[in-house]
Order: sequence, then C-alpha cells, then structure tokens
Amino acid sequence: MTTNLLIQCRGLTKSYRKGDSTITPLQKLDLDVNAGDFLALMGPSGSGKTTLLNLIAGIDSPTGGELRIGGQDIAKLSRSRLADWRSDNVGYIFQLYNLVPVLTAYENVELPLLLHRMSRRDRHERVSTALQLVGIADRHDHYPRQLSGGQEQRVAIARAIVTDPRIIVADEPTGDLDASSAVAIMDLLTRLCEELGKTLVMVTHDARCADRARRTLHLEKGQLVEPGRLGLMEGAAA
Amino acid sequence: MIALRLIPTVLRQVIRHRTRTILTAAGVAVAMFLFITVQSLQHGVRQATEVTAGDTTLIVYRENRFCPATSRLPESYAPRIARLPGVASVTPMKVVVNNCRASLDVVTFRGVPADDVAPMAAKWRILAGSLEDWHKRSDSALIGQRMAERRRLTPGMSFDAAGVTVSVAGIIASDEPQDQNVAYVHLPFLQQATASGAGLGVVTQFNVRVDDPAKLRDTAAAIDELFRTDQDPTTTRPEKAFVAQVGADVVEIVGFARYLGWGCLAAVLALVANAIVLGVQDRVKEHAVLQTLGFRGGLIARMIIAEGIVLGVLGGVAGTAFAAAFLAWGRFSLSTEGLSIHVSPDVGTSLVGLAIAAGVGVVAGLVPAVQAGRREIAQSFRAV
Repeated sequence: MTTNLLIQCRGLTKSYRKGDSTITPLQKLDLDVNAGDFLALMGPSGSGKTTLLNLIAGIDSPTGGELRIGGQDIAKLSRSRLADWRSDNVGYIFQLYNLVPVLTAYENVELPLLLHRMSRRDRHERVSTALQLVGIADRHDHYPRQLSGGQEQRVAIARAIVTDPRIIVADEPTGDLDASSAVAIMDLLTRLCEELGKTLVMVTHDARCADRARRTLHLEKGQLVEPGRLGLMEGAAA
Repeated sequence: MIALRLIPTVLRQVIRHRTRTILTAAGVAVAMFLFITVQSLQHGVRQATEVTAGDTTLIVYRENRFCPATSRLPESYAPRIARLPGVASVTPMKVVVNNCRASLDVVTFRGVPADDVAPMAAKWRILAGSLEDWHKRSDSALIGQRMAERRRLTPGMSFDAAGVTVSVAGIIASDEPQDQNVAYVHLPFLQQATASGAGLGVVTQFNVRVDDPAKLRDTAAAIDELFRTDQDPTTTRPEKAFVAQVGADVVEIVGFARYLGWGCLAAVLALVANAIVLGVQDRVKEHAVLQTLGFRGGLIARMIIAEGIVLGVLGGVAGTAFAAAFLAWGRFSLSTEGLSIHVSPDVGTSLVGLAIAAGVGVVAGLVPAVQAGRREIAQSFRAV
C-alpha cells in the first residue's frame, strides 16, 4: 500500500490573516492519496476543500504540517521551483475554465507546453492528441467566447492533461455546466483516471459527481469528518 | 529575455487586444512624431552651427552688423584678403533676402562673380539644367534643391522675390546646408537689381577659404586686423560660428524646443505605463492561471515587459516613419538673415527614437510587471 502512496498530508495547516482576525481554513489535516486514485472532496462552503486542493496543486503554501507528493516535501520548495514542479506534475481544472480569452482553443492547450523544451512539431502532436482525447479537435481554432461552457471545460481539461501530469486537480469542474454537459465532463474525468491512470482530486458540491469517484471525503471547518460522524450529521439534518 | 517560443504568445496578446494596442500605439506615434521632429530640428542646428575639425570657410562681415541688409563692404577688399598667408580663395558675395526675420519660407539670393562659381560647383551636384546655361544669361539663377522643391521651380522658369526677377538655369544639390536653400545669381546683376544694395562695388560678405583648417582662427584674426582702421571694419568668423551668431535667436528657440521633445517622451512613458497597468489589472486572473500552469513570476514579468516593448516599438516605428515622411515631404528650412537651418530626418535620430520608444516600453512595464510576477496565485484568484 505505502509503495503506491502519492500524496501524503500530515498535520497540514493553513491559516492567513484577514484584518485583525486569523482565518484557518485547514487545521492539522491528515490525508493519504494513492497513485491512480479518484478522490472527491465534499463539504460546505468555507470548509477548506479548495484550500486543500490548492495546497496539493502547489499554488498555495501550508503554514504548518507536512505535504509530501511523490515523496517530495513541496512546502519546502522555493516559489520558482514550485512553479517548475507544477509544470511537470499538476494539471488544474477550474470551475470557470479560466481559458485565456485572446487565445484559441489550440493556443490555450499549447500554453503549458511552452515551458518545456520541445520542437514545434512535438508540441503540435501533443496538443492535437489532447484535443482529440477530450473530443474538441474540430474546435481547435475557436476562441473561448465562441465555445459553449461544456466545450470550454473540455479545452481546459485538454490543457490540464497535455503535459501528462501525475496529478489532476479539479475545482468543481461541473459547477457551471448544465446537467448533460456535467455528465459528459464527468465521463471524461473518469476515463482519465481509469484509462490513463491519472490521480484525480476533485472538489464538488454535487453528490452525483462525487459518486463517480472511488473515494469521497467530507471536510468541515478545515478537518476531515469521519464517515460515522457524517452519517449522524446527515441523520440529524434529515 | 524570454524564450523564442513564447514570443508568438506575447504578440498575440498585443495584436488581439486590438483597441488597446491601436490607441496606445497611436498615442506613442504622435509623441514620437513630435520628438523626432524636434530632434531633427536640433540635428539641423548642429549641422549648421557646430564647427568641425575639417571646416575651412570663413565669413567676413561688416563689424557690428547682423543682417545682410546692413552689412556693406567694398568689393575691393577681396584682393587684399587674398594676399594674406593661408588664404586659398576669396569670394565676394552679395546677399539679398525677401524676409529678414525667421521664417520657414525665406528666399535668399547670393550674388557671386561668374569666375568664382566653377570652384564652388565642384562640391555641387547639378540635378537639372546646367552651369553653362547659368553663364549664358546675366539674370539666371542656380537654385538649391530644397528651395526648388519648396517653390516647385524647374529650369526655364522665372520667379520673383524681394523685387528681384531671375530665370532658373539649374537645380543644385549640396552637402553644405547653406547651399540647399539659396539662389546663386550673378553678382553685378544682384548689385544693380536691388535698390537698397548700394549698387556696384558693394557686397554683403566675403567667403574665404583657407588652405589649412588649423589656420582658421589665425586667418580670421589677420583679416579683421587688416581692416581694423578702415572705414568699414570687419568681423570674421568660421562659417558655422557665423551661422550660430547670426541665427542665435533661432538656435535658442530650437534649444528650448528640446524640452518639448523630452516632454513628449514623458507623455509616452505615462501613456504606455497606463496602458500596461490597466492591462495587468485586467488580467490578474489570467496571470494567476499562467502561474498555476507553471509559469514563473519572473517569466510573466518579462512577458509583460515584452508587451510594453512591442507597444513602444509599434508606436515608435509609426511615429518615426510619419515624421520622416512629413519632413521629407515638407523640405522645411528655418531661415533667418539669409541663413538656413534644415529640418531633415536622419537615420541616427530615427534609430535613437526607436531605441527610446523600446526603452520607454521597458520602463513603463517594469513596475506592473514586477507586481504581477510577485503576486500570490491563491490571493489573485481570491481578488477577482
């Protein structure tokens, strides 16, 4: 089991100051995620889901505890090394897609590859493959404003996978989509995990999306809630 | 600065933010147009007034006179000057202008003896007509290229200015600034044609060539000493120093205009900086996304600066080209007291303008670029 461990959080804490008060969205959190796992994170707003996701993605730094990914303590990396690490290891899928509006679908997907030394031909090959994989190759020359929400999210997924990262993090990837587009996007994410063996950590509010994950964890007030306690809470709520 | 493969992305940002780019580049272009024009004026002043090591021409003028209308010297001074050691040649010259004040369209007649034209013509290029035609008629004129273009004169035409009517015998081009904006006519003709000219035997000045540039100052002193006790004492100066003295007012005004040029640059700086600051503020989230993808803060900063450079250079090229075309088309000469300062574009000024435009792009982009590069990703996402 431990040989397959990819993400390891121990006593992971994140706090920041806002005015006079200190906010602690994550408090001494312990979490293990194996390679190839599909983990859904659920919980109410402000429970620390996105903060945890951002820490795992290396776009935020913990204020306490340890965060090891692939055996490397990423909290100890400098800003620039962390950027390089993200470029090599992480694909990030946003709720609102966050495509660069003045770039076409192709150019958006190409962006992460521009950080890597490779020929234009290789780049073209990888971008084309990624676009085909997400089923949007025929829209490669469209700008984001010319695409539907579901199509934009497909482009964003292609951008996240084009560098072949070990971890894909998704922050409410279907949060802004209609039901049928949401199903299509979840099918795609499930395929990434099952067919390409990607490790997927997804934040969602949607129980149907969480059902597609192999494992679902609930957060509340910056801590993981045990399944038993969650059952009690759900019972009380009912 | 940034990897070549990232340059297309920078260019796309510039090209596809079309409105911002057009407005910013247009502003830069207007400012650069003014800057280049002012710099060209400065360049013209330097060319006309800065004495260089190779200069061999002295101007002998009536002492304490600063206008061709009041400087009157006996033509008979010429052989006396020619006898002084170091003097290679002496050309008595009558100068008549249609306007003694500073103007962009002054017609200057220079009356010279027919025998003195041949050595002067050695440094001219005859663009139209011929020297022979000039010798054939007593009222013929050889017109400097700039004046000919400004007044649209061609050989065979006659024109009138300052009460003098001449027939155009040829168009000449010369590297000497003072040859480009004059009409060379026969000295006796001009002496008789002007009522205020005091008639035959009186000239405005002598153009003296020395055989060694090193002797310029000594020869000038010797000439003034020769006529110190005469009825018409002289003041002799190197030609360019003479221009600087006579055109002092214009030189001073042009010197002041330099500050306007620098003001234009400051306006460019503010304009580009404003465009970049607004662009960066608009794209906080986009930069956060780039950082999420693995772009380092420093790389994003350099990409923003590169955008500033492209904007600056785009506007700089447009403004410089427009200024060059405008100055070439207008053939402007700022003349005073019969002396001309040409406003012409030169490659050096244009290159300096472009370099400054690019530099302004760097400076303008520096602060917003550093701010964008240092911003925390999560903080940026929270901020929008």
